[in-house]
Amino acid sequence: MTEFITEEMTLNMGPQHPSTHGVLRFQLTSDGEVIHSVKPDVGYLHRSIEKIAEKVTYHGFMPYTDRVDYVAAMNSNFAWALTVEKLGGYQVPERAEYLRVIAAELNRISSHLIMLGVMAMDIGAVTPFPYFLRERETINDLLEELCGARLTYNYIRIGGVSSDLPDGFRDRALRFLDHFEPIIDEFNRLITYNEIFVNRLANIVIIPREQAIAWALVGPNLRASGVKWDLRKDEPYSIYPQVEFDIPVGKGEVGTVGDCFDRFIVRVDEMRESSKIIRQCLDKMPEGEIQSKLPRQLKPPKGEVYVRSESARGEMGYYLVSNGGLNPERVKIRTGSFSAMAIMEEVSKGIMIADMVALISSLDVIAPEIDR
Amino acid sequence: MATTASTDAVPGFRGTYFGRIKNAIISIMEGMSVTLGYLLQRPITIQYPDRTPKPVKDTLPERYRGILELDMKTCTACLACERACPIGCIKIEVVKDKETKKRYITRFDIDIAKCMYCGLCVDPCPGGAIRHTNEFEGSTSDVQYLVRRFVPPGERIEPAKPKKKEKEEAGAEGS
Ligand code: SF4
Ligand code: SF4
Repeated sequence: MTEFITEEMTLNMGPQHPSTHGVLRFQLTSDGEVIHSVKPDVGYLHRSIEKIAEKVTYHGFMPYTDRVDYVAAMNSNFAWALTVEKLGGYQVPERAEYLRVIAAELNRISSHLIMLGVMAMDIGAVTPFPYFLRERETINDLLEELCGARLTYNYIRIGGVSSDLPDGFRDRALRFLDHFEPIIDEFNRLITYNEIFVNRLANIVIIPREQAIAWALVGPNLRASGVKWDLRKDEPYSIYPQVEFDIPVGKGEVGTVGDCFDRFIVRVDEMRESSKIIRQCLDKMPEGEIQSKLPRQLKPPKGEVYVRSESARGEMGYYLVSNGGLNPERVKIRTGSFSAMAIMEEVSKGIMIADMVALISSLDVIAPEIDR
Repeated sequence: MATTASTDAVPGFRGTYFGRIKNAIISIMEGMSVTLGYLLQRPITIQYPDRTPKPVKDTLPERYRGILELDMKTCTACLACERACPIGCIKIEVVKDKETKKRYITRFDIDIAKCMYCGLCVDPCPGGAIRHTNEFEGSTSDVQYLVRRFVPPGERIEPAKPKKKEKEEAGAEGS
């Protein structure tokens, strides 16, 4: 009997693969279904956003930050505004801070809805996706009323926000939250605790606590590994210290802490927390100005600053160098998806190809955020 | 549903063989009951564009940032919008008549193909001459039709006189 010889095969997953969430390529070497190594190849969506920043004004860069992470553009706007405000020492009226947080948390919910829906679809459950998108649609409508756009908001301005709440926004937002909170339980019945879904995710690609920290995972991916680290609490900015909310962490509910299921459920729980934050903000919001008086052409003083904030995909940091002129000298953007890409190679040895799809979507990577 | 911890040593599988089958059936039924609840409701999706009860344009909120529009009668040619646009898709040319010392706008183009509808040009406009409309269906057969020319070629238009307060604001632009 002849011996059965197997060979390693090199496979390209992507750039146009439905489960790579944008244009992203993975170079797999696999033996049958078992992966030996994965090399993420990023850069297909590089749009030189950091270079563009050197050519436009501080105000003018705001719409470009929308494009860094288009699923959570509001959080990206927020981070840029915080950065320039810190460098220039610009004040923000309190009402504007509340408006920012409301908008950013609404956006966080809609971003997580996309992630959860897409993850279920990647695993093979197509039904939940439209259910999640239906809820996101309402959030999009709310944000559209607020700032006029559905995806690239450009709502937050340096020193404030562009517009106040429209009439009846508060009621509509509260009505949405009243409707949405029970819907999360319905989602859990629909998909989260489905036995097949759970078996597909439980104990798959476990990222233990130490490894997650060593590879600089951020945001929900880090929290899923059991690390209680959230910049909104641990390095508070804006009005986050004044609102109460918990930080959900992975508990290994159906498997081990840090598995794919934990990364899924952490985001489900985070939506509840965001909804809590929005309720408190709508209640506490003071009257007043929404934009502080700043010159149209900003010239922050010479210097450099790094500011990070908690976006839907984790830590979003802007490193800004100013030479005292009208344009930034250098801008460097640090994003959560990029950190998540780094760990891919390490954790994907020996897993099945189908599990890798679960891994990619559980890390919630957004290709434009990796490349900028 | 089944939230019991792993009893099986094989990673990824939990519970006994028959227990898992039972759980799978129960949780699928659970999910089906959710979808069944929606089966009898009216669909929430609408086919665009011909089946919408109202044109989508009319259902958009007031602040919707659609294709830009310019009111030539109130534009003072202060160039604030041109300066605010990060892409440079607004092109304004102003000439000064040597004899009468009057300013005329000879060109005011907005390149809709480049515009990203960010609204940064609308903010600084002192009289609200430039603004977003609810128009968003802008497809044409040629990209050159997307350049909106508000001054017909060869003509020149006298800009509106800035009101006193606006003048001060416009003066503060360059600071
Ligand atoms: S909306 Fe933005 S991109 Fe378009 S013309 Fe105005 S400033 Fe320029
Ligand atoms: S900012 Fe307004 S008034 Fe000034 S040039 Fe532009 S459209 Fe005209």
